[in-house]
Amino acid sequence: MARKDYSSYTARDFALDEDFQQWVLQPATRNVFWERWLEQHPEKENDVREARQLLQGISFTSFQLSSEQKDGLWEAICGGLEGEGPTPQEPTRTNWWQLWKYAAALLLGMLIAGGWYWWKAEPKNTILSSHTRLGEVKTFLLPDSSEVTLNANSRLLYASAGKQREVWIDGEAFFHVKHTASHQKFIVHTYDNVHVEVLGTQFNVNSTGKEVVVVLQQGKIQLNIEGRNTSLALQPGDIVRYNKQDGDFTKSSVNADQYVSWHTGRLVMEDYSLADAATFMQQVFGKTIIVPDTQLLKYKVSGSMPIIYNADTMLVQLEKVFRMKFNQKGDEVWIQKK
Amino acid sequence: MNTGKAVRADLKVVPSHSSLWGRLLEGDRHAFAEIYETHVDHLYHYGMHFCRDHERVNDNIQDLFQDLWLTREHLSPQVQHIRYYLISSLRRRLLRSLQRDRRWQYRDSWEGFEFEFTTPQENKLILEETAAEQKKLLQAALGNLTRRQREAIYLRFYQNLSYNEVAGIMSMQVDSVYNTISKAIAILKKNLPFPLLLLFLGR
Repeated sequence: MARKDYSSYTARDFALDEDFQQWVLQPATRNVFWERWLEQHPEKENDVREARQLLQGISFTSFQLSSEQKDGLWEAICGGLEGEGPTPQEPTRTNWWQLWKYAAALLLGMLIAGGWYWWKAEPKNTILSSHTRLGEVKTFLLPDSSEVTLNANSRLLYASAGKQREVWIDGEAFFHVKHTASHQKFIVHTYDNVHVEVLGTQFNVNSTGKEVVVVLQQGKIQLNIEGRNTSLALQPGDIVRYNKQDGDFTKSSVNADQYVSWHTGRLVMEDYSLADAATFMQQVFGKTIIVPDTQLLKYKVSGSMPIIYNADTMLVQLEKVFRMKFNQKGDEVWIQKK
Repeated sequence: MNTGKAVRADLKVVPSHSSLWGRLLEGDRHAFAEIYETHVDHLYHYGMHFCRDHERVNDNIQDLFQDLWLTREHLSPQVQHIRYYLISSLRRRLLRSLQRDRRWQYRDSWEGFEFEFTTPQENKLILEETAAEQKKLLQAALGNLTRRQREAIYLRFYQNLSYNEVAGIMSMQVDSVYNTISKAIAILKKNLPFPLLLLFLGR
């Protein structure tokens, strides 16, 4: 998937870009992307400022209904509906419409009193979803300002209902959860009995393989395992591996970076085996790695490299790092000694 | 080639019974009232820019909402952007009602969707006459845009509809929407640097 190269954009190009426009027009839902991008490209500040001025300068004559006109129009709408036949919930037509009128008047009063309230309340009951294809990674803000980076080939659902925020993850995601003023719980559900409960913190959940792996980078989380009545408190650097098949789990300490760095676009390799690389290529690009000489799987390297979301480039990089021969046949990659 | 990670906000609303639209389809009167309250200002604003006829706009908004309630069982549950749906519908209604009106035959010369361009705060420091002169030039340049082009600009920047949605409402190609907006931006851009430059020289 191609991404635009914004670093060569002029003010005019920015002003024409739909994504950029969205950021300027709706700063309330402002995009994590643009703020971060500006931080990384301070040299483009003038172009961006000029583009913003271009967009913000456009204004249209205002036409507004007074609140009396709005009420009047609403009454006309409801009045015109009196001829409608009774609906199942209503005992008699007349009664219902009278009630309806009072209810509408009351409701309107409430609505007008706090128009913004509805606007704010609306997302509370919405369910949102996002997904990524192979070789694709996305970062976005949830309505509560928590940030999620979704790794390749993953799906996420988000729902917020007053008391708590909930997401369902199938695949891998890194969460940076915002602590809300009302101490709203944030719960991450996997489809394999593992549920993570937090208030505000940073952690990674991966359910792609035979295990569900949860790694905590910062803060504190509580991990619940369904069916085992187990609840674990995790400290930063803790990792829990849950075996989907037999329900066994282990908890230990690791360097969290190695597990979460993908969300910043880097592959941190610390005693990184060819088997680890194979898992990565399988998860992110859907490649099947075949290594006839299983001894090679234990071959390890250390270091770090940027993740390029292009399977061919990534294979060439890994080929160099591991000093082996990679042969691609469709979605299969055969690896041999050099 | 992609050399970094793609970062874009693109959460989609899942059509579900808890969504406002879903509740309307189920006959929830509160949802109906909420949709009215949320969208009536935008609809009125659009209508007035479309034809400057308060009575006509009012009547059509009334019909639109009545039909919305009466035909709710036949509406598509797939509507994800209510404002887009309502504006498309209001536009069709206004067009139909105007086609019966003889004056509308001259619609190409009709005003509508005019927009102003105001430069940011700092430019207020510029000599008033220069600013007035500048504004006249800009308005003349913008006057070259057709009504349709202005409407596309209005839908994108005032109603915040996507390029695709603007194209859908106006039955035009996404490319034409893009070109229209490109043209307007070019006009604005040509007029923007001048006052800014003056400002710096003046200091």
